[in-house]
Amino acid sequence: MSALRTEEFTVNMGPHHPSTHGVCRLILTMDGEKVVKVEPVIGYLHRALEKICENRTYVQCIPILDRFEYVTAMSCNYVFALAVEKLAEIEVPERAEYIRVIMLELNRIASHLLFYGVTAMDIGALTPFLYGLRERELIIDLFEMTCGQRLTYNYIRIGGVARDLPPEFVPKCREAVKIITDKLVDYEGLLNENPIWKVRNQGIGYLSPEDAIAYGVSGPVLRASGVEYDIRKNDPYSIYDRFDFNIPTHQNGDCYDRYLQRLAEIKESLKIITQALDGLPEGEIQPKKKINAITYKPPAGEVYARVENSRGELGVYLISDGSTKPVRVKTRGGSYNQLQALPIMVNDCLIADLVAIFASLDVIMPEVDR
Amino acid sequence: MTHDELRAYVADKFGDKLTLLDTGRAEPMYEVKLSDLHDVAESLRKDETLQFDYLCNLGGTDTGERLEVHYQLASIYKNNRIDFKVMLTDDKPSVPTVQDIWPAANWYEREMWELYGINVEGHNNLTRFLLPDDWDQGHPMRKDWDAPDFIRLPEFKG
Repeated sequence: MSALRTEEFTVNMGPHHPSTHGVCRLILTMDGEKVVKVEPVIGYLHRALEKICENRTYVQCIPILDRFEYVTAMSCNYVFALAVEKLAEIEVPERAEYIRVIMLELNRIASHLLFYGVTAMDIGALTPFLYGLRERELIIDLFEMTCGQRLTYNYIRIGGVARDLPPEFVPKCREAVKIITDKLVDYEGLLNENPIWKVRNQGIGYLSPEDAIAYGVSGPVLRASGVEYDIRKNDPYSIYDRFDFNIPTHQNGDCYDRYLQRLAEIKESLKIITQALDGLPEGEIQPKKKINAITYKPPAGEVYARVENSRGELGVYLISDGSTKPVRVKTRGGSYNQLQALPIMVNDCLIADLVAIFASLDVIMPEVDR
Repeated sequence: MTHDELRAYVADKFGDKLTLLDTGRAEPMYEVKLSDLHDVAESLRKDETLQFDYLCNLGGTDTGERLEVHYQLASIYKNNRIDFKVMLTDDKPSVPTVQDIWPAANWYEREMWELYGINVEGHNNLTRFLLPDDWDQGHPMRKDWDAPDFIRLPEFKG
């Protein structure tokens, strides 16, 4: 009897697949049940944000960039403001810097809580989604109380923040920090030692530190591969050098470590928020020389500003010619490189594992497509 | 390494291959000639002291007068940052690929090829990326390209 003939075949996954977190299309080459090759196809959410920014004043760019990476819109506000501040050498008041740090870290926690929920849901556990979003709601309420918005904040402005904290913010924030600290025990109890969770995640989607660096992978995914690199420590911005916090790392570089990495980062962010609340000074929240939204002109020049957000390095390359509109705004998000590195993590896994790998990267498509 | 030490080291090591540009800020920005681009990039990656192993950002720019390609690099283990860019004056702009040095450059170069029409020599996959597959309306990030319903924001005086 002649041997059974086999051949590879192609499966199209997405763009509207629920586990692609937006609209990402993956072209899979399959050998039986094994994924031999994966090719991401992007661009379904391309809104030409960079082109739009070239026809806006500097202050108008900030709400546009809210839509760039909406899960951590505070970082997007901040990185653009930071770029302009570096260019124009604007001095930011002390109180504004503290408020910014509190907001950035709260936003990081909110993003990691969303990751906790949706990743577990992708793998088939529904309960963590309810828990993660319940605590995320506390943070979203704090944002709503401060700036009136729940998702796209337009709060951090060039040289400061839009408005001062309401009086009830600090006690509410302390309460939220306490609740999240307590609930983290529950989160870990639900998944860390869960046998199904471990089988589905451990050893899946291995990314070596060399590959991670070569592909420009950053943030929690890079640190889960054992590389201790965090822009908050390595290239400090704002007032992060004043706070006492650690950069956790994990060594295995698989989906399970990426999950542990994010939970560990929530704890560090809670530490920073507590210290920032303790040290929050009184004072101004906007620079002495007010920024006019219509006529503001930074000096001509160019600058690359980068911050560490929940998905890695978030950067803006800004060129100014001294007019009211930027010449070029090039954005760089962590998801772009994480998705680019997806094909090297596949390693003949199953489609179900591919879903786990994709979820563990915490890719958000608007950041990739822009 | 501080910014000043980095400047001194680069000036010593690369001489006139990397020209320091005055951008009025702490992090150095260099200009590199197109003919030196690949060699300089490779040296920056392989140099023991610098070890620029991490590509932060890469992209094109249309300043209205000419096209440019900018490269932002970082070193994970040596903790340095450097920027350099190449000015393109040719009618048919083209740069050599750097994806053999930093694999991360692949998507950035593909995006630049599509949106700015800057050819990338040696790139393995120059196909439609962010735009629709049947796009035939030129390179939208160029300054002379406007959408059909485009209204330019006036320059306000104040």
